[in-house]
Amino acid sequence: MPLLMILAAGVNASELIFPTLECIHIVGFAMLIGSIAILDFRLLGYGMTEQQPPELYKSLMPWTWIGMAFIFLSGPLMYSSDPDMYYLNWAFIIKMLCMIAALVFHFTVRSKVVGLGAPGTGKAVACVSLLLWASVVFGGIFIGFVTEGL
Amino acid sequence: MLEFCQWLQATDVFTALRGSAIVYPVILSLHMIGIAFFGAMILVTDLRLLGVAMRTYPVTSVVNRLRVPKRIGFAVMVICGVLLFSTKAEEYYYNIFFRIKMILLALVCLHALLFAENVYGSAAEMDTSGITSKAKIAAGASLVLWLGLAICGRAIGYIEPPLEKIHAFLHTAAEAPGTGAPALRNIHD
Repeated sequence: MPLLMILAAGVNASELIFPTLECIHIVGFAMLIGSIAILDFRLLGYGMTEQQPPELYKSLMPWTWIGMAFIFLSGPLMYSSDPDMYYLNWAFIIKMLCMIAALVFHFTVRSKVVGLGAPGTGKAVACVSLLLWASVVFGGIFIGFVTEGL
Repeated sequence: MLEFCQWLQATDVFTALRGSAIVYPVILSLHMIGIAFFGAMILVTDLRLLGVAMRTYPVTSVVNRLRVPKRIGFAVMVICGVLLFSTKAEEYYYNIFFRIKMILLALVCLHALLFAENVYGSAAEMDTSGITSKAKIAAGASLVLWLGLAICGRAIGYIEPPLEKIHAFLHTAAEAPGTGAPALRNIHD
């Protein structure tokens, strides 16, 4: 993968690049997961209850996308700094599986249920969404604590 | 202060937590979930006051409705933060970014004292007479403070602890000869 090697050389060129990427990643997930969580809490009946879920979904969307841009910019670059370590890290693999599940759920079931405003299902959807994103965060933190490669 | 940190981490409960390979990352994960679930509430509140986000919604339905969840989030983050600190109090004591983070946290409290009533408590007035410039200053300051807190939090893990000064190092090493050293290699790695 020559592209990865070029990226790795760039990311490893300065000691400050990786921590900077991590900070972008933190701000990014605060925006991405946070904008999703505001609506999930609304579905559970907490927080911004004065707006209807479809309306809230629309006004939070830009912030979800900006967060996603931050995440998908910083994440792959961090990965490229040491691909073998990540590839052989069980926490990273679990994180990726949870992230794919969370994104698929977000764009399929969750957006449909919010759009339909089906009563009753909203709470279950919110719980699944929050749990999936929480698992992504857990996976991300544990990457740094795995001492043995697969 | 240093004596207090040494005493705190030497207590039975925090010595046990420090020895556990799983507890520290779990608490750290919960600390980060605090950011993930509640960080955007701070962001949205401040951006609403700056007129950037959710402009069609009344200020009250953003500021007032998010007040309680934001407080719960703050409590989660502080509780997890205190636990993280207590497991390796001495190491944090010497950490420059931890010290900066605590100063920023003190400024967050000062921010609350200055603006809690006349900005965040006056959302209804702002819905009728517009957002005051004081509110915009408060919102801008809040964004800067929280960004600084996040950056310092991450930077804490990059400071090598002065192992020769650390009391808990001897403590852990004595308990598990040969395996004590890596436990205190770095706060976050």
